[in-house]
Amino acid sequence: MSGLRFDRLKVLVVDDNQHMRKLVATILQAFGVIQIFECADGEHAWKTLSEANPDVIMLDWQMTGMTGLDFVKRVRTSPKSPNPFVPIIMLTGHTHVDHVRLARDAGANEFLAKPVSVKAIMSRLIAVIEYPRPFVRTADYFGPCRRRRTGDDYHGPERRSTAQETAIDDIPGEKA
Amino acid sequence: MPNDTAKTAEFIQPPNLLKAKLGGGDGFALDAAAIKRAEQAMVTLKQEFSDWIAQDIAHLASAFARFVAGRSMETAEALFRAAHDLKGQATTFEYPLVARVAASLSKLMDELPARDEAPLPLVAAHVDAIHVIHRDKIKDISNLTALTLVEELEARTRKALARTSRPKRKS
Repeated sequence: MSGLRFDRLKVLVVDDNQHMRKLVATILQAFGVIQIFECADGEHAWKTLSEANPDVIMLDWQMTGMTGLDFVKRVRTSPKSPNPFVPIIMLTGHTHVDHVRLARDAGANEFLAKPVSVKAIMSRLIAVIEYPRPFVRTADYFGPCRRRRTGDDYHGPERRSTAQETAIDDIPGEKA
Repeated sequence: MPNDTAKTAEFIQPPNLLKAKLGGGDGFALDAAAIKRAEQAMVTLKQEFSDWIAQDIAHLASAFARFVAGRSMETAEALFRAAHDLKGQATTFEYPLVARVAASLSKLMDELPARDEAPLPLVAAHVDAIHVIHRDKIKDISNLTALTLVEELEARTRKALARTSRPKRKS
């Protein structure tokens, strides 16, 4: 038992498919989440982000208008963003590794491929609650640290610009 | 290979206010009771799945009709999104072979140089297959007839993509 008080959690679910929103909301309610905000597109989600100040965003990739990827970038980098640090779980039918990289490079915390399962949703929630990744700001990126593994087996040139960043590789959590 | 030392990276560790707000916590251990409740809720929700998949397939059919009536980036995008939704959801709604056909259609449209270049007969064959699998309520992934149809569509998608990718690689 995780012992987490899910009844205190505020989740914003963004998906242009109403069935997927209902499915995710039903699972969250069963976990004990009471405050669930549903939006069908990025613009409404942006407004809701300001008004409701959710703790976690569960976001679809393919949406009419603003895509999920655009939304993540806006949340992370817009000067008007109400919370650039909010955890974002990308929920998508895309399964190719290139899409995982794109989501990661936009600033998503976690990636969840559809079809969704109860356990997968729970594990991603726990990951962002228990082991939030540190944030990194570089010239062309702001978002959660994109490394997960320890670098003990890597003997090539230093790829990060500061040694401090290497320290954040050692984050407990799921291995990619 | 030179290091890019000119770039600077700032490392920020915000306080974990979320963890403080939710309390408790036991590392990555999942809350078994919450999972059981959610799985039970999914069983209850299953009563709605047949309506949901019917609506999603109707949405695909309508997007396909618009694509046929006027092929454009906009109609192609709408058709791709409808197929992509089915790819992600149909397995949950107990139609895994619909998900597989929808995945093949999504792949076809997504990997072509432009989505509106998707060959109409092959797109139509995918849409028809989804209708047939749903109409005949084929939920079993080992149904031989449906499986043969799915595999044939996947093979034709691969072939269509191979045809379009060859000239691109030469250029």
